Amino acid sequence: MGSDPRGRSRAGGRSRIAKRVALALLLALLAAVWAIAAYLLWRTTVPSGLDVPAVDPKSIFSTEDLQRAIHYDRFVRWDFLATQVVLIAGLAVYAAYGARFVRESAAGRIGTGMLLAMLGLGLLWVVQLPFGLAELWWQRRYDVSHTPYGEWVIDNWLALGSEFLFISFAILIVMGLAGPLRDWWWIPGGFVFVGLALLLTFLFPYLLPGQRPLRDQALVAQAKAYERQLGVGDIPVRVQDVGTETTMPNAEAVGLGPTRRVILWETIVRPPFTFDEQRVVVAHELGHHARKHLWKGIAWYALFAFPGAFIIARVTRRRGGMREPEAVPLSLLVLTVLSFLSLPVENVITRHIESEADWVALELTKDPASAEGAFKNFTVSALADPDPPLWDYVLIENHPTVVQRIGMAEAWRPRHNAGG
Amino acid sequence: MSSMEPHPIQVVVEDDLERSRLTVFFRLLLAIPHFVWYFLWSIGTFFAAIAAWVVALITGRVSGGLHSFLSAYVRYTTHLFAYLCLAANPYPGFTGQPGSYPIDVNIPPPERQNRWKVGFRIFLALPALLLAAVLAGTPGFGGGGGAGGRGDEPGWTGWTGGGLIFIVAFFAWFVCLVRGRMPNGFRDLQAYALRYNAQAQGYVLLLTERYPNSDPSAPPAALPPERPAVQIQVNDDLRRSRITVFFRILLFLPHLVWLVLWTIAAFVAVIVGWFAALATGRLPDALHRFIAAYVRYSTHIFAYLFLTANPFPGFTGAAGSYPIDLEIDPPGPQNRWKTLLRVFLAIPAFFVSGALNSALFLVGLFGWFVSLATGSMPAGLRNLGAYAQRYAGQTNAYFLLLTDRYPYGGPWEWAPTPEAEAEPEVAAA
Repeated sequence: MGSDPRGRSRAGGRSRIAKRVALALLLALLAAVWAIAAYLLWRTTVPSGLDVPAVDPKSIFSTEDLQRAIHYDRFVRWDFLATQVVLIAGLAVYAAYGARFVRESAAGRIGTGMLLAMLGLGLLWVVQLPFGLAELWWQRRYDVSHTPYGEWVIDNWLALGSEFLFISFAILIVMGLAGPLRDWWWIPGGFVFVGLALLLTFLFPYLLPGQRPLRDQALVAQAKAYERQLGVGDIPVRVQDVGTETTMPNAEAVGLGPTRRVILWETIVRPPFTFDEQRVVVAHELGHHARKHLWKGIAWYALFAFPGAFIIARVTRRRGGMREPEAVPLSLLVLTVLSFLSLPVENVITRHIESEADWVALELTKDPASAEGAFKNFTVSALADPDPPLWDYVLIENHPTVVQRIGMAEAWRPRHNAGG
Repeated sequence: MSSMEPHPIQVVVEDDLERSRLTVFFRLLLAIPHFVWYFLWSIGTFFAAIAAWVVALITGRVSGGLHSFLSAYVRYTTHLFAYLCLAANPYPGFTGQPGSYPIDVNIPPPERQNRWKVGFRIFLALPALLLAAVLAGTPGFGGGGGAGGRGDEPGWTGWTGGGLIFIVAFFAWFVCLVRGRMPNGFRDLQAYALRYNAQAQGYVLLLTERYPNSDPSAPPAALPPERPAVQIQVNDDLRRSRITVFFRILLFLPHLVWLVLWTIAAFVAVIVGWFAALATGRLPDALHRFIAAYVRYSTHIFAYLFLTANPFPGFTGAAGSYPIDLEIDPPGPQNRWKTLLRVFLAIPAFFVSGALNSALFLVGLFGWFVSLATGSMPAGLRNLGAYAQRYAGQTNAYFLLLTDRYPYGGPWEWAPTPEAEAEPEVAAA
């Protein structure tokens, strides 16, 4: 037996150090790739030296409108914060005790994981219900929504059903991969989820209910002209009926490639929005398509999905990893905490993207007055606080504030004039 | 075997299954005098029931005269319905005389009753009356159900499907005309439905304060004449998780998606299997395994949806993996003619299964409230659900070529689990 325990120990130590160095190098490489990708995605057509003037909301809005928007938004933001706190607290409790629901399953490893995930979402639905109802009460009080409470609860219940389906599918993927790959499921899992995000973005236009073609032919013609200017090809503009759900104005760019569309809520194509203001909104949404913001959104998602999946894989190891159903409640908690913590970064990115779309709209329409009018309407009709407190701005606001948007329109004027 | 004390109102079956073709052919017309008498007696019963209610509220029991009158009405209704739906052969009398008919009702003498239960009887009885309507096509008392008796009220008839026993009677009419004999399973099914109806009537009419027992394995259930090719295994302990009960419909959704996908594959497999069975006289083993797993899986997930079982089912339909499970015989030789005509032959079974599924729906509905409140499922409701699922499983197995033995409609005894034995039925079910 000529073995030398000390020699083996030294060799083992060297091997461990080598592994750690290799791991550190790998992580450094991945971080560099991440940073380069983030830099490339961050690039924008908004001029870097843009001098956005400070805008005083009191000089733009009547005291009554301003107070109404501030008062409305204050409740909404505190309701949001309370919901988040309750959500995380509820999931923490579920992460601690949820594994006991394993006994309610005869479905094997993956099926039991599905059950635990669905029950977690179900419990959260119950916990969040009062806050959702409170927000609806507030919206009804301010005439922002006319949805009856019963209808809202039923709609939410049905939406929970689709969430159950989604989470079951996600668990099927994660636990299906974690079976053979154990802690390495996050690598193929990340690719699969990015692929699904791609698919969902592609199909999303077909999932929106109540769409109809835009009837205002002048606006249609204007949209076509903008499409030609931007060189984006044919992108249909559709109007979505939002019924009694909300009176808030909104619009969105959806789809990828052949499914691209601009969706205007019907609340946009009626007063108080003027034709010129509607033009600005259409130009803004076409700007999203022109600057490939949906593709960039998926790329950003990928940048966060892989590290997020990695963290979930690491944290759930104490429960046997994601191959064990007992780890599912903990994974929900980790996912929710990560989502909450990433909100500030996510909002920075979306605000950056929205600013670029605003800039494209200004360049297209060359009508800062109408842009300002549209942004003002968001405060008056959507009751958006034009200048929210910092914590709200960091945690909640995924668009530039109204004063920032008006400021950008103001900043555009001298550049345009200077540029002739 | 019942899992509880026998119900005081019992149906006794002394029928020999023989049927006169002549009276079967004219049965509805022959019953016309009874329809008139039944209508008049129902009016009298309505007022007698009000009087009995007042008396019972004051004295705590129904007086002997009223009790006899109402008991005779319940018996007469049972005799008449048994005659109409071919559960018995002889023309019934008009007096509801005890022991005068092959399908008869034993009703206990007047007993002291809880005044609170008497006071709220009509509300307490609503679930039982709904179930009686599904099973016997009548809301229990003064219903005028009869064969098509409510056909002019599409809403009601549409919901109850005319009652399970009348759907069975429709198909039994043809069988009796051809064979001169009532199929055993159909008769037993009708006896069960009539028993429940009599118990529901007895409860509403204050003949007893015992809630109707929906357990199909209670008397007069008997063993089937031959061993069915598809049997149900019930190993459920009646415990229900309140949280999974609350979200049950939504938790079912992933299974619904999987069932749809599996149904597409099963459809293709059955087409292939049909040609193979026609050519070789038996379903190939691999196809039998695949289709049997599909049939078992659908039983598991609907047991979960309708609360006849508690745990979240697996996605593979593995045998023995679920508390409500189907035991399916291995593949065997099948008659080629039956295989050729299987689609048409299965139609009556599908109608009966559909009617039983209405009962299963009520099992799920009532069971949801009870399970949420008590954390357990009443044994009677669970057993009724299992019965409906057994018949559905047999029908599916027959239609999907797993066996050429026709589904057996009658309820039969099965050995309940020790937990089920110990579990009392929840009265408000």
